[in-house]
Parts: sequence; C-alpha cells; structure tokens
Amino acid sequence: MTATATAGRSVPPSNRPLNPRRVGVLMFHTFTQLVRMKVFYFMGFFAVILLASNLFNLQSFGQPDMEGMDVLRTIRSWSLGAMTLFSTVLAIVATALLLPKDVEDRTLYTILAKPVPRLDYLTGKLLGVLLLLFSSLFLMDLLMSGVLALRMHDVVNSQLAAAAKANWPADQIAAMRVQTEAQGVTWSLHGAVFAVFLRSAVMASAALLISTFSTSTLFTTIIGFLLYFIGNFQADARHAALGGTGEGTGPLAKAAGLGIAVIFPDFQLFNVIDSVIEGAAFPLSSLGMLTGVTAFYVILHLFVSWLVFSGKEF
Amino acid sequence: MESAVEIRHLVKEFRLPGHKTPLRAVDDVSITIAPGEVYGLIGPNGSGKSTAMKALLGLVAPTAGTCSIFGNDSLKVDSRQEVGFLPENPYFYKHLTGAETLRFYGKLCGLRGPSLEKKVGELLELVDLTGARDRRLGGYSKGMLQRIGLAQALVQEPRLVILDEPTAGVDPIGSRQIRDLIFELKGRGITVFLCSHLLEQVQEVCDRVGIIFRGRMVKEGSLDDLLSIDDQTEVILRNASPELLAKVREAVLADGAAELIRAGKPKTTLERLFLQETLDRKEP
Repeated sequence: MTATATAGRSVPPSNRPLNPRRVGVLMFHTFTQLVRMKVFYFMGFFAVILLASNLFNLQSFGQPDMEGMDVLRTIRSWSLGAMTLFSTVLAIVATALLLPKDVEDRTLYTILAKPVPRLDYLTGKLLGVLLLLFSSLFLMDLLMSGVLALRMHDVVNSQLAAAAKANWPADQIAAMRVQTEAQGVTWSLHGAVFAVFLRSAVMASAALLISTFSTSTLFTTIIGFLLYFIGNFQADARHAALGGTGEGTGPLAKAAGLGIAVIFPDFQLFNVIDSVIEGAAFPLSSLGMLTGVTAFYVILHLFVSWLVFSGKEF
Repeated sequence: MESAVEIRHLVKEFRLPGHKTPLRAVDDVSITIAPGEVYGLIGPNGSGKSTAMKALLGLVAPTAGTCSIFGNDSLKVDSRQEVGFLPENPYFYKHLTGAETLRFYGKLCGLRGPSLEKKVGELLELVDLTGARDRRLGGYSKGMLQRIGLAQALVQEPRLVILDEPTAGVDPIGSRQIRDLIFELKGRGITVFLCSHLLEQVQEVCDRVGIIFRGRMVKEGSLDDLLSIDDQTEVILRNASPELLAKVREAVLADGAAELIRAGKPKTTLERLFLQETLDRKEP
C-alpha cells in the first residue's frame, strides 16, 4: 500500500503499466458510469422496442406477400440493423464523452495524481466501453434469438400444415424444414452479432484516439462518424484508384493504399453480416480473421492514443 | 533527512497559439518542504501556484528544473504512491456515492477487501460524511465535495497531501472544518503543501510560506521570520499607564509598578506582507 521507508530512502512499490487489477477497476468504473447515463437507457429502450416489434406483424405492413422465411429474414435484418445502429452510435458518443468530461470535471487530475499510468487509464476507459457494448449486444442477441425461435416455430408449423395438406413427400418436407431453420437462430447469426461488436470496438478505439487530441466532445463525435462513413467506402475508393488486382500499380501507390487502409479502417470487411442475414453460413475462419483485423486496429488506436496522451499536459 | 518535496529551479513555459514568445508561467522556482511540515504557497491568480503544483504531480512536464517527492522523480508514476491531491473545485463522479468514490480511489491505489472497507469507514468519519456515505455526489454541497475530496486524497495513507485552494467557494463553517482537518493531518505527521487565497487561514495553519508572483518566488521562509519587522521593537507592558509609554525602557526600569513582559520584534500580518510583495512591488 504505502511506501516502505528504508534507511531514510523511500522505496515505493513498482507501478508497471497494464496492471490487470487497476485496468479492471477503471473498466468496471467506466461501465458503471455509462450504465448510469440516461442516454444509454434511451438507446436500449429504442432497441428493445425495435426487437419487440418483431413479435407482431408490423414488418409485413405494406408487404402482404411476405410470409414464411421472408418473415424470419426480416427479423434478422431489422435486428442486426438496430444492433449496428445502436452499437455504432454508442461506441462513438460514449467514448467521445469520457475523456473531455474527466478533464472538464478535473476528475482526471485526481486519477492521474494516484499511481495510475496513463496507459492503464486509457485501456480501462476503452475496455469499459467495450464491456458495455458487448453486454448490450449480448442482451439484444438473446432477445433476438428468443423472438426468432418463437417466430420460426410458428413458420415451421404453418409450413408443415400446408405441406401435409398438399401431400408433399417426406424428403421434400425435411428439406424445406432445413431451409427454414437456416433462417432461424444459428451459430452464424451469433457470429454476425459478434461481428457487429467487433465493428463497434474499432469505432470505439478510433473515437478514443480522436478524443486524445480533440478539444470537444462534438468534434470527436463528428470526426468519429466521418471516419465511419469513410471506412465504409474507402475500400471502393482504393479499388477504383489502384485497380482491381493492384497489378500495374507502382509500389508508391500500393503503399499509399495500405496507408489509407491503416488510417481508415475498412468496414466493408464487416459486411459479412449481410450474407448471414440472407442465410449464408459464417465460417469460423472468417470470424477469426475479423477478430484479428479488429485486434490490429484496436491495439494500433490504443497505442497512438497513448503516444498522444502520455505527452499531454493538464 | 530526505525532503518531502524538492522543487529545484523549476521553469515552465507554455506555447500560446499565435505568439512567438512562450509564456513563462513558473520562473526558476525552488521549494524544499521537510517531512511533517505544513507549507503554504500564496500568490495572486495566474502567478504560477497551480502550475508548480501540477509539475510536482507530473501533470505538466517542467521546461527546466526538477521536482521530486520523497526522493522520487515526480514524472515517474511511482512517486504518486506517496501523494494525495485535492484539486481546486473538484467535482468527482456524480454517479458514485461517497463510499463508492473512496472505494474507487482506494482500489486504484491497490487497496481491497476488508482493509479498504475499514479505510472507507474511517475516512468518512474523519471528514464527517458518515451520514452521507450512500448518497450520490450529485447531491453533495460544495463543502461536502471538498471534504470527500480530502478523504480521497488520504485514501492510500500518503505521506504528502497537496491541497489546491481547499476552501475555495466553501462557507465559513466548511472552511473551518477543512482547517481543522489540516491540523489533524499535521498532528499525524503528514506533510501538507497547500495554496490558498485565504491568507488568514494560511497564517493559521502553515509552518512556512512562499510568496509567488509572476512566476517567481519573491519571499520564502518560516512565518515567524517573514512576519518579523527588523527595524522595529515591540514592547508589551502590563498595567502600563499612557504616560509610561512615552519613556518605555527607562520608565519601566525606574517605575517599580510596571512589569516588562516581553521585548521583541512586532509582527505584520501575512496579508500586509503579501500585498507589499505583490501589488506594491516596484520591480518584477
């Protein structure tokens, strides 16, 4: 706890960076701070309403021909869309709030005046946001799975009844059932939710980086959203500028392309979510690759944030 | 003996946008504070007090010079194990209760379990906030915030406590409570480094005082030394008649009814000295 004095010379305990216990304290504190913010409840409420609306037939208004698998597909689409919107907004806004608020309220002084390395402070803050994103997406995934399971049960029952009435052969009924169940709750769907989380994690770390040199929450939020949109289109721009295969382009152009990809995360990589909505499988290898890409961006953003933040004066 | 605080020739310059010449906020300031001492740094607004304190805490990097706490470089995180800091007008996290606040800061310092809970209880009692331990800080008054701030500064039992305007915006009663707490810290042998505008309070609690003006230390020393006026002599008489005052020494000696209690140097007030060294100062 306190330093021990030996022969008139104090020997304080070593406070190495990335102490898991200290980072954990900051992470859970940030999580609590965000949970107690009413804006989060509002967004959670919005997401819950959107998901709960799938229990009714609201999504088929104006589309009377929609039935069977289309209903399940719509639930998946709406749910993943709501999750993407919720997690992206929360990742940017929540992270953008944290640092300027601590500086403004001078709570940062009291934290950094304790034996807390600046890297631990930043890591704890980021992990707190990620914990909040993960928890809320996990809850939304549970809710979506519940709604989908209920809906699939109804759809399968009605399909079986219709097939029996039409005297379909057993193998055809089994094939239809497999096809319908692929639109229900699958591991690929949970993987897609995890991909939503990974994308929001990149956005949160990018917002943290911006907030280390930004002077206001508004600036961080605007630049954060701008980065998100650039990230969604940068792959197309690079493709157009450098050509499809990259053949015929010089090393300088390739390096420039790589530089752009490092500065602006390529969010098109996360668009596998769209194919999962259509019922395609999400292989574990793709999920692993996405996790790797996310880890690269998060660590890169955190490292640059620390470089900026460690030299910052308050 | 190792000093609690050692600031050596501290210079801090800030680059201002649109200005070629940097602003020198602190100019060659040296301060040494012995363990157990209560040191007061006083100066007008913008004189460099807070910047000097921030340099000591590693919140700003010195342009030149060094700062150390119990022999440990202030720029190293380890030096902060020994320090408790109460910033000016602290707000803390409004979503936390008083007890949660102390728990949070205690955990950051490596405390946990029953010892942390015991410490939280002790500190809340020390700052007279036991009744408000489960109330969120959003509902605390200014004085209560200052006191919970002081409690968080003490959570890891630091040997040095730095207080930046601890009574700013606090009513006289709250101000008195904080003064009593400083006396309590002094009684426990904790070194206190404080800056305040309340000169009377500084005079009351501090052993030594430094006056900083336009970034420079213009006067420093023990209160007794600083407040003594060298070219005057104070005579305190008991039962002395007005006539007697005209011929003090001879009359006292000659007059058997009067008693010479003490002869020494009369004192000015800290406030008068402060104004003389700052506003009335002719040269920078």
